[in-house]
Amino acid sequence: MLDLLLKKLHFQKMSNNNSKKASEQHDSPVYLSKNLEENLKILREVLGQSSDVIIRDMKIGTNLNVAAAVIYIDGLVDRDLVNHHILQPLMSDLQLIKDNVGQNHSNLIDFIKSSVLTVGQIIGTEDIDGVIANVLTGHTAILVEGVNQALLIDAKGWETRSLEEAKNELAIRGPRISFNETLRTNTALLRRIIRDPGLTFESLQVGERSKTDIAIVYIKGIIEDSLVEEIKQRLKRINTDVILDIGYIEQYIEDNPLSLFSTIGNSERPDVVAARVLEGRAAILVDGSPFALTAPMILIEGFQSVEDYYARPYFASFIRWIRFLAFVLSAFLPAIYVALMSFHQELLPTPLLITVAAAKEGIPLPVGVEAIFMIILFEILREAGLRMPRTLGQAVSIVGALVIGQSAVAAGLVGAPMVVVLATTAIASFVAPSQADLGALLRIILVSVASFMGLFGIVIISLEILSHLASLRSLGVPYLSPLAPLNIRGLKDTLVRAPLWTMDSRPEPLDSPNTRRQSPDQMPQPPKTKPNKGES
Amino acid sequence: MTRGQRLKIYVIILLIIIPVFLSGCWDSIQLDKLSIVSGLGWDINLDTGDVTLTYQSIVPSQIKSTSSTSGSGEQKGGGALNTIQLDHSTGSSPYDALSRYTQHGSRIPYYRHTQVFIFGKDGAEQGIYPFIDTVARNPAGRPNILMAVSEKKASDILGVQNGMESIQAIGMAEEIKLSAAFSKYPEVTFLEFANRLMSKTTAPIAPMIGIFLETGPDGKKIQKIRITGTAVFKGDSMIGQLNERESSGLLWAINKIKKGFVMIPEASLEIVRAKSKIVPELQDDKIEITIEIDEESNLIEYKGRKDLTADIVQELEKGQAKEIKSQVMAAVEKSFSLDADVFGFGDAVHRKYKNEWKNLKPMWDEVYPNIKVVVKVKTHLNEIGDVNKALMKK
Amino acid sequence: MLLEKGKISNFQLSVLIVGFVFGSSVIIPPGQGAGHDAWIACALGLMEGLLIVWIFTALAKQFKDKTIVEINSLVYGKILGKCISVLFIWYLFHLGALVLNNYARFFKLEIYPATPKAVGLLLVMLVCASTVGRGIEVLARCGLILAPLTLLVAVTDTLLVIPHIDLKNLLPILDVPIRKLLFVSHGTASFPFAETVAFLMVLAFVDKPEKGPSAVSRGLLISGFIFIMVAVRNAAVLGQMGTVYNYPTYIAVQVIDIGDIFNRLEALVAINLITMGFIKISILLYGTVLGLAQVFNLRSYRPIILPVGILMVILALTNVGNTLEMLEFASKGYSIYAVPFQIGIPLITLVIAKLRKLPPKGEVNS
Repeated sequence: MLDLLLKKLHFQKMSNNNSKKASEQHDSPVYLSKNLEENLKILREVLGQSSDVIIRDMKIGTNLNVAAAVIYIDGLVDRDLVNHHILQPLMSDLQLIKDNVGQNHSNLIDFIKSSVLTVGQIIGTEDIDGVIANVLTGHTAILVEGVNQALLIDAKGWETRSLEEAKNELAIRGPRISFNETLRTNTALLRRIIRDPGLTFESLQVGERSKTDIAIVYIKGIIEDSLVEEIKQRLKRINTDVILDIGYIEQYIEDNPLSLFSTIGNSERPDVVAARVLEGRAAILVDGSPFALTAPMILIEGFQSVEDYYARPYFASFIRWIRFLAFVLSAFLPAIYVALMSFHQELLPTPLLITVAAAKEGIPLPVGVEAIFMIILFEILREAGLRMPRTLGQAVSIVGALVIGQSAVAAGLVGAPMVVVLATTAIASFVAPSQADLGALLRIILVSVASFMGLFGIVIISLEILSHLASLRSLGVPYLSPLAPLNIRGLKDTLVRAPLWTMDSRPEPLDSPNTRRQSPDQMPQPPKTKPNKGES
Repeated sequence: MTRGQRLKIYVIILLIIIPVFLSGCWDSIQLDKLSIVSGLGWDINLDTGDVTLTYQSIVPSQIKSTSSTSGSGEQKGGGALNTIQLDHSTGSSPYDALSRYTQHGSRIPYYRHTQVFIFGKDGAEQGIYPFIDTVARNPAGRPNILMAVSEKKASDILGVQNGMESIQAIGMAEEIKLSAAFSKYPEVTFLEFANRLMSKTTAPIAPMIGIFLETGPDGKKIQKIRITGTAVFKGDSMIGQLNERESSGLLWAINKIKKGFVMIPEASLEIVRAKSKIVPELQDDKIEITIEIDEESNLIEYKGRKDLTADIVQELEKGQAKEIKSQVMAAVEKSFSLDADVFGFGDAVHRKYKNEWKNLKPMWDEVYPNIKVVVKVKTHLNEIGDVNKALMKK
Repeated sequence: MLLEKGKISNFQLSVLIVGFVFGSSVIIPPGQGAGHDAWIACALGLMEGLLIVWIFTALAKQFKDKTIVEINSLVYGKILGKCISVLFIWYLFHLGALVLNNYARFFKLEIYPATPKAVGLLLVMLVCASTVGRGIEVLARCGLILAPLTLLVAVTDTLLVIPHIDLKNLLPILDVPIRKLLFVSHGTASFPFAETVAFLMVLAFVDKPEKGPSAVSRGLLISGFIFIMVAVRNAAVLGQMGTVYNYPTYIAVQVIDIGDIFNRLEALVAINLITMGFIKISILLYGTVLGLAQVFNLRSYRPIILPVGILMVILALTNVGNTLEMLEFASKGYSIYAVPFQIGIPLITLVIAKLRKLPPKGEVNS
């Protein structure tokens, strides 16, 4: 007890320290002075001697007698924009203006801002930290002698990956595009799908040293307001050095960090994110990551694939059932096999038992050990296949899967039924790839329990998992909706995928203020009165 | 991390650790430590009263799957000779014998996949109640296990190898089921046997199995199994048997006719469907039982060499009815002579005349042979097959 | 009332009732002792059960947000009320131990002969404890998923066993003496129908208390009909042997053998027992710890869950000597022992409450 207390206090102290450090920088804002040289001196000090920091001195004004400087980071800015739309107007166009605006320097800066620079976004700032921070994110700063204000121009332009096909969420019908690493590109992709004025992107910066741009995406009027507030709160609470990827954000804001199950969804496809946002969820985009987070999330989402909605209802429902079945198989099959073989041999039909007994003859290891061994082997193979350099990848899969499996059986180390079970499990786990990690963990837990307590153990652990799932909430929404608490209308998209023309309202647990999303008479019908061509 | 979350973590850790320590693998048994007993035989030594149990167990290593990676080139289908092995153990009571198995086996016997129980005739005549009790009490005794009586010794039957199935007991069970499906001899599960035993008036029955010699393809004589009759018990002891005809009659009466054939002098007919009802009538302490049988059949063999007409069809139907009736009466006569109520007449009377039954039950042994039995048979000839004229006239 | 902040809907309440009533009756079907007339005993017991339910749901409806412990304190005054509450809590606790006992016996006999009973019981208790710790809402949600599965299995088993059903086995009707039949019916009412009196600790958390009684009745009717169906099926399939077997449902399902593939389905029955037993034990555990917390004015019931649970397991292990004693108690003693708790306390409390015109109008919503 005492050490619990101590640890807690210690933890408190540490977090206090951190927040202090973080705020130190901003305690006293340093302002620009009117002297250009002074400003430049401070900037050179802070930004260091990096070779990509460009400080371009110049003389501007009608008489070319006003000192000015343009500061940017080469590589982050669009050189074209800087050269043609900042340097050119400043240096040559400004010259041509005969008005002696150059006399009053503060007017000069306003004039430049309002009439000279042919760029889209310009803001002014008086705060040196602001200048530094913005230059580091790709802005260009303009400083003028005699003015204690700097202009910041958004001149971002760097090498990015072109828009590619979504590699992890494949669809046969439906768009192929996936997000890429640039925040602006991603927001544009969403804008192209949702052309509603309510679509809002609220930005934040998170990460002390990375100052990563984050956008919270939602549709005003559809989303419940407290949801946005809550997400904003959680994001603001993050106090860490760097956000490398959206996965970091997920791990810092999720409801149940200790649970096996993730309560925040993700996707790399704009159409999926758009659909979820339109149902009343919020999405989070992060600069530098091609994935988006969507919250709240319920369990069923892991089993819904984008393909479901582009295909017709019967097949979509069938495939959804296959997906459930596959996931259950991939988690439970090895455990059930172990339990039946070690404890409950009476549950196998007699002919099957005889065949399996024949296969088991001579295998030295008990079934539980066999199973765990094979599962670990499979995970090793899978991981190796993922991480291996592309050129070698093919060899690993062929060698691993076929040869090792076959040889193990031939050598008598592993029974043939075990290999069959595991192969089925492996293939089944990829039917719902987003749940493959979860499946792997569940599989191991269940097999361990099965080898100790048989079917009873499996059921008990499943009950515990169920109970845990029932207690999970994602941003207030119960994780097992719409099965529990029961919501009949919500079931339309759960166990089956009801036809699109029946899905009139947004999901209930999301509590949207605007629940109607289509009119109720959308079922297509052939026109009633037109006679067929062949008849009179 | 709040205290609540910390506590949750401790509980989770406990949950994971406790099973590891508490549960050990008490009940976990690997398949290669089990000896799967496919058939169990019971014999009694008349002199000493000892029970000898015969275990037919499966030898898994001899079961070859279709594509063996250990290609030793063995041919499949040569009659898997070694897939079973026989063991015997003797004791003064069933469980005494069962417990001695450990003296000569390397594996633990596993009875939950046993297909059939065979009782030697001598043992059956002595009474098999101790065995029944053990099977009912033990969770390994499943209600579906088939019961059978052997003509001589059970251990002989269990040792007869030949047949198409790789496991002999499975083959025997299938044979029993097949003969029941073709309405020759009854198929009796343990549950049915025990139910008849529990009813104080109904006699338990079981098919009888014997060995006969067959000449194999290479000219040598091989032993094979055949079902030869129906054993009739009184209480738990066997007192007699029904032959082929009487067994069929029994099946007709108790509504166990499925597929099968009716043979009359002019033709053979294939049974499509049959139903029967036992209707008791009680009048002034006199019991009259009507057995109503309703049957549909197809003509499959006509020896008359005449063209078929409606009259002939009617004759055939009448002939069938006569044959069925005589089979049933044969069974009835035999049961009267054994004084064993194999039909369940007593239960039928009980169901209908609840109050009078109290008086009749203790006297059933005397009442039974004096029951008047009337058999009413209705037959229909449905289809006459592909031809309707004789191919060759007389 | 800070101890439980959750609310459950009426539908969830019905489902919980079904799960609870199924409880250990999955393998010990009600009506044992009446032979093949068990279904009549079930029907009669159901009617008596409905009557008893009517009594205690009326009490719950009278005092809308209050658990029986709080009601007792209001009606009888603090000290006497707490004493009566302790008695009631003892009943719940003891019942939990009895259910655990049934559970353990079944598993030890049919499925895991070598494993000590304590192991299985502790595992079950751990899951129940963690679920109870999560609150009544979570328990209700689990019930929503588990109870329909059990119903599905029960119905499927019955359908699959149709080839083996011989309805003649049900004749003659009313074969048992009337006195015995009535006694068995009352036994059926006590176990399991009227055990729903445990829900007096749960009814306080229903979001629409006026509809509470009908939700409970609905749950009882559904489970009652299933039991009648099961009683008919077991008698039809097993015949006379149905009266002899300790676990007729389990044996009846062993008979299923379709196409050599669909056999050995009795595992489903065992799984049903685990899940429904889980619900029943969780509710009883919940009632016990919540009641204790209310009696002793604790701030939260969570710290005592695990200790009470372990005590329940210990009581289950040490309580009854062997199956025969258990059978004796279950068939003869229990139906009498339970009456004061199932009928007595609710009825007397209701009468006194009405006489004293409690609760006073202003105190209805606390």
